[in-house]
Amino acid sequence: MKQRTLALCRAAPYGSALAREGLEAVLASAAMEQEIDLLFLGDGVFQLLDHQSPMAIGQKSLRRNLMALPMFGIEQLYVARGSLAQRGLTPEEIQIPGAEITLVDQPGNLIAAYQCVLSF
Amino acid sequence: MKFSLAVYAAPHSSQSAASALRFARALLAEGHEIYRIFFYCDGVQNANSIAAPPQDETDLTGQWQALQREHSLDLVVCIAAAQRRGVLNQREAERLEKPSANLAEGFELAGLGQLTDAVANSERLVTFGGTQ
Repeated sequence: MKQRTLALCRAAPYGSALAREGLEAVLASAAMEQEIDLLFLGDGVFQLLDHQSPMAIGQKSLRRNLMALPMFGIEQLYVARGSLAQRGLTPEEIQIPGAEITLVDQPGNLIAAYQCVLSF
Repeated sequence: MKFSLAVYAAPHSSQSAASALRFARALLAEGHEIYRIFFYCDGVQNANSIAAPPQDETDLTGQWQALQREHSLDLVVCIAAAQRRGVLNQREAERLEKPSANLAEGFELAGLGQLTDAVANSERLVTFGGTQ
């Protein structure tokens, strides 16, 4: 049975391992040809900022995992507009080459449209 | 109904893993089927057989094992997350040249594909732990 899955990315990129391990699970899912979309909300929107320097705190950049998303067929990224605004970020700051970013006003409605939701 | 559980939390740090265990018991008591329980992120610590909590605290690993024996549950631990956190079976311990293995009996190491498979083959996936 084929079904669409939505993965929620709610964690900031480096404070915990959840952002990285969430993206790893998403990529593994895509590699198994599951159809999966991503919704970044809450502190998860920080994952999408470019020009991060996590080496300064001994962390690997999450950017490579994000850049891999389109290569794995994940081209649709949803971002909660309210989460961006609350954190003083603009849509221009969160580009991922090869991916289309759609701002969402009602994340709840989007989540409700999916049969399965993975939460990270 | 056919359920799978994803457990992201370690025992003894938060209530999440204990809630997952209680939820699993409740599902089985109500006659539901558990397709798989997938331990990911810090949740891999549920399968750490050398954790030694004080006697008056819950031994979650032992309780998972008991539930697994009783219901032949499929308890799968993400191998990549487990390697990072030092939960290894004998084969991995030897391959990675580590001094000991500690994966509790009743749990299996496997790849993230098992989470994807659980999503595809369950009617409900319930996640415990993660972002507060």
